[in-house]
Amino acid sequence: MRLLLLLPTVTYRTVAFVEAARRLGIEVTVASERPSTFERANPTGLVTLDFADPAHAAAQARAFARAHPVHGVVAVDDDTAVVAAAIAQELGIRGNPVAAARAARDKHQQRQLLAAAGVAVPRFELLTIAADPERVAGRAAYPCVLKPLRLSASRGVVRADDPPGFVAAFRRVQAILEQPDVAGCGDWARHILVEEFVPGREVAVEGLVTRGSVRVLTIFDKPDPLDGPFFEETIYVTPSRLAQTAQLAVAACAQAAVDALGLREGPIHAEIRHNDRGAWLIELAARPIGGRCSGALRFEMRETENGKRETSLEEIIIRHALGMELPTLEREEQASGVMMIPVPGAGVLRDVRGVGEARAVPLVEEVAITAHPGQTLVPWPEGSRYPGFIFARGESSEAVEAALRAAHARLELLIEPAD
Amino acid sequence: MSAADVRITAEPIDNGRCKFLVSEPLHAGGVRRFASPDEARGSPLAEAIFAIPGADVSEVIVSGNLVTVVKRSPAAWPVVGKAVGQAIRAALAGGQPAVTSKPAASPKAGAAPVDDALYERVADLFESQVNPMVARHGGRVELIDVQDAVVMVRMAGGCQGCGMADVTLRQGIEAMLQQHVPEVKGIVDITDHTAGSNPYFAAAKK
Repeated sequence: MRLLLLLPTVTYRTVAFVEAARRLGIEVTVASERPSTFERANPTGLVTLDFADPAHAAAQARAFARAHPVHGVVAVDDDTAVVAAAIAQELGIRGNPVAAARAARDKHQQRQLLAAAGVAVPRFELLTIAADPERVAGRAAYPCVLKPLRLSASRGVVRADDPPGFVAAFRRVQAILEQPDVAGCGDWARHILVEEFVPGREVAVEGLVTRGSVRVLTIFDKPDPLDGPFFEETIYVTPSRLAQTAQLAVAACAQAAVDALGLREGPIHAEIRHNDRGAWLIELAARPIGGRCSGALRFEMRETENGKRETSLEEIIIRHALGMELPTLEREEQASGVMMIPVPGAGVLRDVRGVGEARAVPLVEEVAITAHPGQTLVPWPEGSRYPGFIFARGESSEAVEAALRAAHARLELLIEPAD
Repeated sequence: MSAADVRITAEPIDNGRCKFLVSEPLHAGGVRRFASPDEARGSPLAEAIFAIPGADVSEVIVSGNLVTVVKRSPAAWPVVGKAVGQAIRAALAGGQPAVTSKPAASPKAGAAPVDDALYERVADLFESQVNPMVARHGGRVELIDVQDAVVMVRMAGGCQGCGMADVTLRQGIEAMLQQHVPEVKGIVDITDHTAGSNPYFAAAKK
C-alpha cells in the first residue's frame, strides 16, 4: 500500500508524518515542490510535483502512479490540500473535490459559500490593494479586521477601530502583499478582505471528515484573547472549557461549514468564535493543525507487538487516506496544550536561555526551539514564524495553561537588531 | 561543576525516541550504543537508564554531549525524561566514566568484525554517493559508527536543522543503505538539529 505524502519544503510537519508512516509499515513516496538531492537515487520514494499548478501536479502524479500505484494522498497545508484533491480526483482515490479544497483555501470564496448557505460568518467586503483606503474607511463598520485571502498563521491580519486605523491597517496589509515572497503568488495577493470583528471566545476544532460527516477529534481553547490589533496565536489547550451547549454549537458550525464548502474527506482545522449570538465560523482549512501543534494531541492507546502505545493525529490521517481501519478516535484522558512561543521583538536570534528551567516546570513535556541561531525574527503582522513551541500535559486544562505560562516566563530570547 | 549546574534539554522525536542534550560531555570516545541491559553492564549511565522503572528502554546511544534513548513503553517523556536527567546528573557526578569505551570485541561473538566490515562499506557509500548528493544543498552527513549493524550518523551544514532532514534520512540515506548495504538493520540520527545555524529549508507554520 503506497501513500503519496505532499510535504512542502518549509513545513514543520515532516518528522511527524514521515515517522507516522514508518510506524504503519506502509510504502511512502514523499512529494515536494523542489527536488530532493536523492530523487534520482530513490525515484519511488521521492518525487517533485508542481505544487503551484494542481492540475499539472495531478498529471505528474498520474504518470508516477502508472509505475507505482498510489492508494492514498495526504496534504499538510492549504496549498497542498488543493494539490491532494486534484491528485485524488485524477487517481480515483479518497479525497476532497478540487473546488471544495480551493474554496477552503481562499478566505473570500469561503465567506461567500458559507454566507450563501446560512453559516454564521462575519459581514465582509473584498477590496483590491489599488483601492483608496480613505474612501473605504468612511463606509466601513467598526471594529473590523483586514486580512489577506490566503496567508497562513494570521500573517497580515490587522484590526481597525476607526477610519484612521483602517487606513493604517490597509497600508500595512498592502505592504505585506507587495513583499516579494507574496506579490508573485497570484491574483489573490492583490486583494484584501475586510470583515466585521466578531467578539467572543475563540476555539480551534480538529476534525476528520468521512463522506462529508465531521467527527470532532478535539476542541482547543485559546485562552489568550484574540482581540487584535494583530492575531498572533499563543496557547491552545484541550479539553475545552466551553459549556457543553457551546461545544455542540461549535461542532454544528464546523459541520455546516464543511457542508457548505463541499468537503468530503480528510482532516479539517477550523477557527470558530462563540458569543451570546452563537458560533461563528472565522476560518476553516482542509488540513490538520499547523506548526508543531499536533504534538499536543494523542489518541487512545492501541495494542502493538511491543505493547500498548498511543496513536498520533498523523497516523489517523494516514490511515483514513488509505482506507485502513481507524483506531478509536478518542483523545487521551489527560488535558494537554501547546504554546506557540511569541516573537518578543524584531531582530536576529542569538540565543535562547532558560530552556532547561522551562522544561523543569511541572507538567511541561517539551520545549522545542525551532528557530535557529542567526534567524531573523519578524513580529506579527508581517511575520508568521514562531521561535518554538512548549507542550504540557496534566489533570486539567487550567493546570496545563498555567504550566505553559510558567515555562514561557522562564525563557529569554536574546535578539540583536538586524543589520 | 555541581549536578545542579548541568543543563539538560530533551528533544523528543516521537513517543518512542528522545534526544537529551547535555551541557557537559558524557563520552569523548566516539559513539556507544547499548541495545540491552547486558551490553550496558559496566557503563553507569546506560545501566541507570535501562533500569528506569516502567520505561522499558530498548536502546541507549551516547555520543559527546548527546544521549538518545529509545523506549517501548507508552510512558510519557516528561516522566521518563526526568529519570533520564537524574541518571545523567548522577553519572556526571559519579567520578568515573559515564560509559566505557567501545570494547575490542562485542559480547556477541563476531559482531565487531561484521560491524567493522559494514562500517567500511557504509563509509564508501557515504563518500562516493551520499555526501556528494547532500553537498548540493550545502549539507554533510558524517558516519559516526556502526554498532550491531545499526548505522549512526550526524548531519551538518545545510542538513542540520533542515525542515526536510528526516526525508533525507529516511527516503534518501536509509533507502540507499537498503539497496547497497542490505545487511544494515537501521539508521540513527544523533544530530542536535536545534543547533543548526544554516538549514537549507527552514520551517514556517503551515
